[in-house]
Amino acid sequence: MQPDRKARLLASLPAWGATIALLLIWEISVHVFQIREFILPAPSAIWEACVSVWPNLLRHSLATLGTVLMGFSASVIISLPLAMLIASSPAISAAIYPLLVITQSIPKVALAPILIVALGANEMPRIIVTFLVAFFPLVVSSVAGLLAVPPELIELGRACRAGRFQELLRIRLPFAVPFVFGGLKVAAALSVVGAVVAEFVGADAGLGYLIQTSMAFFRTPLAFGAVVVLALMGIALFQAVTLAERLLFPWSSSVEGTTKAAS
Amino acid sequence: MIRLENVNKTFRGRDGTAVEALRDISLDIAAGEFVAIVGASGCGKSTLLRLVAGLVPTSSGQVMLDNAPVTEPRTDTAMVFQAATLLPWADVLRNVTFPMRLMHRHDTKTDDKARALLATAGLSGFETKLPRELSGGMQQRVAICRALLQEPRVLLMDEPFGALDALTREEMSLELLRLWSTRQMAVIFVTHSISEAILLADRVVVMSPRPGRIADIIPVGLPRPRAFEQEGTEEFQRCAARIRALIFRGRQADAA
Repeated sequence: MQPDRKARLLASLPAWGATIALLLIWEISVHVFQIREFILPAPSAIWEACVSVWPNLLRHSLATLGTVLMGFSASVIISLPLAMLIASSPAISAAIYPLLVITQSIPKVALAPILIVALGANEMPRIIVTFLVAFFPLVVSSVAGLLAVPPELIELGRACRAGRFQELLRIRLPFAVPFVFGGLKVAAALSVVGAVVAEFVGADAGLGYLIQTSMAFFRTPLAFGAVVVLALMGIALFQAVTLAERLLFPWSSSVEGTTKAAS
Repeated sequence: MIRLENVNKTFRGRDGTAVEALRDISLDIAAGEFVAIVGASGCGKSTLLRLVAGLVPTSSGQVMLDNAPVTEPRTDTAMVFQAATLLPWADVLRNVTFPMRLMHRHDTKTDDKARALLATAGLSGFETKLPRELSGGMQQRVAICRALLQEPRVLLMDEPFGALDALTREEMSLELLRLWSTRQMAVIFVTHSISEAILLADRVVVMSPRPGRIADIIPVGLPRPRAFEQEGTEEFQRCAARIRALIFRGRQADAA
């Protein structure tokens, strides 16, 4: 374990080095070329702006995180049964898939103001927009996983007189796990996008709202800070899904090809 | 014990055209007999196996097992495929016992039986390994153990060694014979390899393609236990020449 961790640390060195170098170049360029702060603030200015209003920033971050987690959970709760339904029969699949594609072709930014009028200025329209942005890849990859079971495995189940429910529970679902996690990772990243889109349109808190109000007053450093927090949130969520996969299904994270194919 | 009576099988293609896979197949297989089926690709060997397994219905004619028509999968037949098709999430022991769980035949003794079976297949100490940690030959051994644990009276094997390298293949053939000789179990073994068929089987069913028909049935008069040295015998060569002639005749007719 120990040498393994050391090797991993060594492997991550170039990435850290590049990030730090980029920040340094950014900082120096801003000073050397005297770029004005409302156009491009230096990393140090962003840091200062964030630190000076940190309770405020924290409040907005928590508001966004709440929307993200609710929308993500809604995607998971709705996508998995939906995927099972679609995978269960070609007729159901033919009926549902076009509807799903329609929900994906509608720009969510266009939908958000309509939803807010319909559902009122509360958390609900934001969660729905987040869900709409995030759930589709999860459904698609879960269906792909449920249908990717080798035909021989299905024949084995049938030869053992397994019914459709047993086939789903004991063969198709476990087989789909790596695919589902591929979809979950995409959905996690998209939830953050969805939440911000919703907050741009109608919210009185959240990082999307903070970015809009900051820019209205040319407080660019704070807007940049909010963007950084959003990026960190997306990374953290993605890593959480990866960690959950490794802990709950250790065999899955090392199944080659499938997760890549799904995402 | 197994009796196929004038079995025909026609598949309907997606474009509506009928594809005749098997025509007028009649075959009797005794309890405990080892029968190999050889023939060119597309001669319906695999379909024949699935008919006996009860996985697909006949178009006409009947498959009888112990004088009862086979209409659905039975618990006393087991199947081994070309790919090991193990469950990637389950360790070796759970893979071997998986069919027993599906059939609700899993009890306290099943795990012990599975361990003993794995030991006879040279897989002691691998019970907790995952399939991807095993070589191709070992995976197929697990698949064979999985089938044998059901204590089937009929074992259906669809090119079980087809994906293995030549050396592993020979080793596995002899191992299969050893496992079969201690059981009262009929085997239907589909293969592309003529020498594999002769080495293993009591009788070799030669099939011709499009539609799949039985060209001839060759009894193999080699004493058991079988060994590779028998490949040099006159009887082995006679069988091989006859089978080759049957398959080759079919190809010439095809080309004409």
